[in-house]
Amino acid sequence: MTRFLIGAMTVCAMAMATSAQAQTSEFMLRGFADIGSTAFKAEQSFAAILGDRRGPVWGGGVEVVLPFAVFVDVRASQFKQTGERVFLYQGEQFNLGIPTTVTVSPLTVIGGYRADFGSRFFPYGGGGIGWHRYQETSQFAEGSENVDERFQGYHLLGGVEFRVSRWIGTAFETEWSTVPDALGADPNGVSSGFNETDLGGVTFRVKLVIGN
Amino acid sequence: MAKTFGPNVRVLACTALLAAGAVATHHAQLASSGALLVSDISAPAIDRGLRNLDPPRDSRNDPPDITVDGDQPFVPGSIIVKFRPGTSPDAQRMLLAQVDGAASRPPSDADFDIVSIDPGMDPEAAARQLNAQPDVEYAQARYRVYPRFRPNDPLYARQWNYPSIDMERAWDINPGATSSVVVAVLDSGVAYRPAIVRYQARAFTLDGIPYRSLGVVDVPFAAAPELGGIERFVAPRDFIWDNTLPLDLDGHGTHVAGTIGQLTNNSTGVAGMAFNVRIMPVKVIASLWDLIFNSPFQGTDDVVARGIRYATDNGADVINMSIGRSGPSAPVVREAIAYAVGRGVFVVVAAGNDFEAGNQVERLAEFAPDIEGMVAVGGIGRNRERAYYSNTGSYVELMAPGGNTRVGGTEGAILQQTFDFDVVETYFRAPSQYTAPRFDSFAYDYLQGTSMAAPHVSGFAALLIQQGITSPAAIEAAMKRYAIDLGPAGRDNEYGHGLINPRASLRGQGLAK
Repeated sequence: MTRFLIGAMTVCAMAMATSAQAQTSEFMLRGFADIGSTAFKAEQSFAAILGDRRGPVWGGGVEVVLPFAVFVDVRASQFKQTGERVFLYQGEQFNLGIPTTVTVSPLTVIGGYRADFGSRFFPYGGGGIGWHRYQETSQFAEGSENVDERFQGYHLLGGVEFRVSRWIGTAFETEWSTVPDALGADPNGVSSGFNETDLGGVTFRVKLVIGN
Repeated sequence: MAKTFGPNVRVLACTALLAAGAVATHHAQLASSGALLVSDISAPAIDRGLRNLDPPRDSRNDPPDITVDGDQPFVPGSIIVKFRPGTSPDAQRMLLAQVDGAASRPPSDADFDIVSIDPGMDPEAAARQLNAQPDVEYAQARYRVYPRFRPNDPLYARQWNYPSIDMERAWDINPGATSSVVVAVLDSGVAYRPAIVRYQARAFTLDGIPYRSLGVVDVPFAAAPELGGIERFVAPRDFIWDNTLPLDLDGHGTHVAGTIGQLTNNSTGVAGMAFNVRIMPVKVIASLWDLIFNSPFQGTDDVVARGIRYATDNGADVINMSIGRSGPSAPVVREAIAYAVGRGVFVVVAAGNDFEAGNQVERLAEFAPDIEGMVAVGGIGRNRERAYYSNTGSYVELMAPGGNTRVGGTEGAILQQTFDFDVVETYFRAPSQYTAPRFDSFAYDYLQGTSMAAPHVSGFAALLIQQGITSPAAIEAAMKRYAIDLGPAGRDNEYGHGLINPRASLRGQGLAK
């Protein structure tokens, strides 16, 4: 269902592109860097281990704006936080003082529509696919006790770009993602106890765009 | 020597009591006995060494920070590289330039180089890049190596019980707790200090053989060398003599205390589970000598209940009770245990040694399933199977090493320091050779029983408390959750939830794993 929705929205965005007015016919290649905050859907699990369901995320990538305002961007980003292992019992949490680092590194490909109304503001939206590397390492862990796995996810995003100058722009965007069945498989993870399986979430970010 | 100490030390005591009572009837002139502390000091303890050649003893049941620098498993900013022989310095420099690396002065005692790289660069990626070059024999990140704590106590190699529950890796996580954790040993007392105590030894009959009165005797005591100094002991209390001098006149409590907190990694003797904790000796069991000396109290339910409440009110975090009995239920003890658990004290009770003697319900252990924060512990041998003596039943919750001399002979039991029984159990000699005991001579003895299994769990509980799991119910849950299932799948009456697994419990849960 999720795949269908994302696919449908992406197709709609592409279709809108063909009917938009004042479309640029230029081919533009831009680079960008961004910083933001991700709130994970598995909020209890992240809060238990890392103390907060939210955390900073940074990244960067390249974006190609095709004729008729269609864009495709490829982004690599990373969330990395250190917390500690715990023992949960009947709703009570006991922190064990064993450092644990969780790293989530998505690589996404997003396609969408970037409207050009002839002003300095360019609303945009789109959807796409991501490959998420999930790593969890902790002190005293041996071999297979650490986690390093990859999962596929789906993304929707929307935002507004403001052109500061011909070559520099800034954007504010929100991205929603779902990474199903990435967590909760191992009974020793708190995510299993909380029945939280999705590694996705919502990310708010500020983007610096270099390029026309 | 191997000696089976069950939780039913009381039973042994009862036998002696009957004998002593009978004798008292015939020796009405015997004055009421009392204990007089003659001296706070005594001669130094005598070390009689390892007693591993003694035959196994009969059953005694019924009767008688490492901290991490960063979160990566390797050191950032450098890698290890070994070039193939014949690679010229210029070629080496060119290869290292691929990772912006520069070799530092070669380390001593090494045939490899330590290469500095950009601290922000992934050392594993740099190593992979170099490994692809034909002139590089190997390159690798500088992975941290953690200590595998293996105590240096010379007799540790004979303590199969610790490796059998993966204690070496558990000690890596939590090396023996700290002195902030107090474990109360409700037992026959503990050899925790020197003293000379004057008793009056009355006549008695043992197994139908009459033994004469020894009259007034001055009995020497010494602290068990491997339990540490007197500052390690908190709030000592004796409910058998009703004083604050819970001296061990038996050896059972000293052995049990050793498994909980024997000094460890001190190049001497043996190791203990939670070797940094403080110990609260609370004497609630009367030994044969206590009875011969006519102690005012015996190890009865009320005495045990008072001991539990005393330990609770005086700061114990864990109570170990390697004691028990069969017969009717003991509500007074149940209430005392509930009192303790309700005030945050974790309670460990031996499951009993009567399996081959009818497997009667252990009346102290039987409360365990109903009280979250109390566990009943059975014993396994070195083959990881239930020991022949270990009770089975619905109240058995966890298993720990208790020893089994039928598997491995004397050394199949649990080794700890306690008294040299040759100079304690003089009542086992012929009446003509019967003498006053001395409690200042120590040896490393093999004992077996669920009495020996329980202190493993008490020490384990101390580690969990130090690690951060402080609620008794949560401690029990953490123990059960990670127990290694033995016997039929799932909980069963023979093994309960299984063998304790301290390392896994101490590690707890991660986010995904």
